[in-house]
Amino acid sequence: MASNYFYDNDAFRYSRAINTLALAGVCAVLLMAFVWQIAFNELPCPLCLLQRLAFVMVGVGLLLNIRFGPSPLHYGMVIISALAGAFASGRQVLLHIAPGDAGYGSPFLGLHFYTWALLLFVAFLVYCGFMLMLDRRSADHANPRRCSRTAGAVMWLFFLLVLANMVSTLLECGFGPCADDPVAYLWLSLGS
Amino acid sequence: MIMMLPFLTGMLTVWFGIRGQRRMCLSLWFITLLIFAAWCQVHMTDPLGFSL
Repeated sequence: MASNYFYDNDAFRYSRAINTLALAGVCAVLLMAFVWQIAFNELPCPLCLLQRLAFVMVGVGLLLNIRFGPSPLHYGMVIISALAGAFASGRQVLLHIAPGDAGYGSPFLGLHFYTWALLLFVAFLVYCGFMLMLDRRSADHANPRRCSRTAGAVMWLFFLLVLANMVSTLLECGFGPCADDPVAYLWLSLGS
Repeated sequence: MIMMLPFLTGMLTVWFGIRGQRRMCLSLWFITLLIFAAWCQVHMTDPLGFSL
């Protein structure tokens, strides 16, 4: 039945495919930030790390949509996480908005990373609005479902990127706070 | 404050999500959110250089 196409138990696959794409987008953001950090030796500031963390929290909501099927609970997690991220990135935009301020780090395609982050968090809010309309008849399922290989690969990539961020933050800051304007990895410079 | 702590809880959150343990995943996500809010209190309460 065409009218029930999206709402059959099995037919949430389109929603799950879209959520898999969105999670792949989160992975791309985390990967890009990581590549930039290593290639240009630009260490993330505490606010930058908080924005990465907000992307991780957004990704968790998307991951649950893939693993358990779409649910308003999971979209709520994405919305709260995106708002948290917009709060952190908006604060950093305001910190550097004054005329003459060069900003933190080098820009990418004309915008600094925290400005891109703010735009992406707003995009995730819009995404949730549309997906809640698309999945309006979805029910909450507490039992995990089988995932496609592609979805599984994206979820494990996401896990590895979060793990890499934890190790990187550990190297940069140790078991303490990070410097506001970090110039070296704390644990890598201990021996020198 | 331990900057890597929310990444540790975040990593565990993702792990439990992938393993299909949603209750643990939700609990850890909420703990991560609380740590995020606490770290915001530390890093985002300095006055800005201009008046809004």
